[in-house]
Amino acid sequence: MLPVSSTTRRPALGGTTAGGTTAGGTTAGGTTAGGTGRAGAWRSWWAPPVALGRVAVLRFVLYAFVVLDALHITTWPLGHGDVPAVLYRPILLRRLLDLPAPTETSVRVVLVVLVLSAVVAALGRLPRAAGWVCAAAYLEWISNGFSYSKIDHDHVALLVALLVLPTVGAARDPFLRSEAAGWAVRCVQVAAVCTYFLAALAKMRFGGWDWANGAIFTWAFSRRGSTLTDALLAVPHLVVVMQWGVLVAEFLSPLMLWLRGRALAAAVGFWLVFHLGTYLTIGIHFLPTVVCLLAFAPLERLPQAWRARTLPRSARRDRAAARG
Amino acid sequence: MLEPAAGIRRLPRAGLAWRSVAAVAFLGLLVLGTVQGNDDRWPFAPMSQYAFAVHLDGEVRSTRIEAVTTGGVRTVVPLTPGGVGLRRAEVEGQLQRFVDDPALLEAVAAAYAQRHPGRARYAHLEVHQDVTRLVGGELTGAPRDVELAAWDVADPRHPLGCCR
Repeated sequence: MLPVSSTTRRPALGGTTAGGTTAGGTTAGGTTAGGTGRAGAWRSWWAPPVALGRVAVLRFVLYAFVVLDALHITTWPLGHGDVPAVLYRPILLRRLLDLPAPTETSVRVVLVVLVLSAVVAALGRLPRAAGWVCAAAYLEWISNGFSYSKIDHDHVALLVALLVLPTVGAARDPFLRSEAAGWAVRCVQVAAVCTYFLAALAKMRFGGWDWANGAIFTWAFSRRGSTLTDALLAVPHLVVVMQWGVLVAEFLSPLMLWLRGRALAAAVGFWLVFHLGTYLTIGIHFLPTVVCLLAFAPLERLPQAWRARTLPRSARRDRAAARG
Repeated sequence: MLEPAAGIRRLPRAGLAWRSVAAVAFLGLLVLGTVQGNDDRWPFAPMSQYAFAVHLDGEVRSTRIEAVTTGGVRTVVPLTPGGVGLRRAEVEGQLQRFVDDPALLEAVAAAYAQRHPGRARYAHLEVHQDVTRLVGGELTGAPRDVELAAWDVADPRHPLGCCR
């Protein structure tokens, strides 16, 4: 379970935000940390001060995940290197950037650059330079993966994370709260929520309400089935109930941006269980989105606790005095 | 109004401005992508995985490619990164191309030969679908096998002229 706590000690994303909550982030709330009125509400919603410790942990986990992703999960771009180019159907992004069809050499070079930059960035070194190189290499890798007529939708939040994390710069002091860090964390949260909410909109666009009343799970289970899916299919009406559950949860997902404490932990927990369920039934895990749910957790407490334990007593006294 | 508070590093106005523009623009493109875009515009593509409706009395189609090797053995082509470098969903994504132009199947033979130089090459390839009927949302009866495209490789030892 994620270490999401209900305490309200620090005004941070996933904990509490200063100035109360404002619907849609556009209505004027009361006095906020960043100022008053609409501008202040906008600032405190999109760039609330977040401890740099959260960015440091998020970087470590997400860049480490990029290494895992490239080497063990999203590995098929490597295989595209020796697929005849006649089967290459470049997506708009690759055509705009004039990226050539993957070759045996190019996929290997991109993989090495991707892994090396991710390792450097995971260790907190060269957070901007390594971060930008990693983002560019990941974009090349994933767009290659999607340029043979199959697009997945589980990478958007991670891509956003890789694009925003370099903007924070160094994150040495885990206690120092930064609006730049808050913006990056907020962007990852919004992108994760978009993955769910827009999935519900897409279901309405392509399937309509028939989606939830139809046989989509039966379809998916029969194509990628197991003994577990056979057992689920044997229960009458169960798949329709599950379909409605997924649709409602996806539509409600934006609430996560305003939930706090245990309610937020419960929402994140629900999605973890959902993804575990899709993995066990049809082998689809959505891990690149799952890791981004970490942006909702008060990760800063890990390096803060570590720092508090390792700092000499005199330094802790000085810090307490400085904070008044 | 925006003096640095103790322990808080504020963003200057310009820093907040470009971040706001970037975030709102990206968000707008994401929403637009789902509402009226298509897969070609990724990352601003519709989040459409499993988004289509399957009619309760419709059918389920599962695609595969079969091949007959130069040794005369019929086999199912491994649609995996390690098999031919293409996954089943990628073949399904351009299924219509294979139907319209079965000669494209020779590229699959070439990819296989490239990857497995020591194995028997594909001399003949077919795209098949197993079609299972749904009645009231339940799979009914045995799957029906439908052949959608077939291709004889002119020079099976060197599909698309490769692997010489």
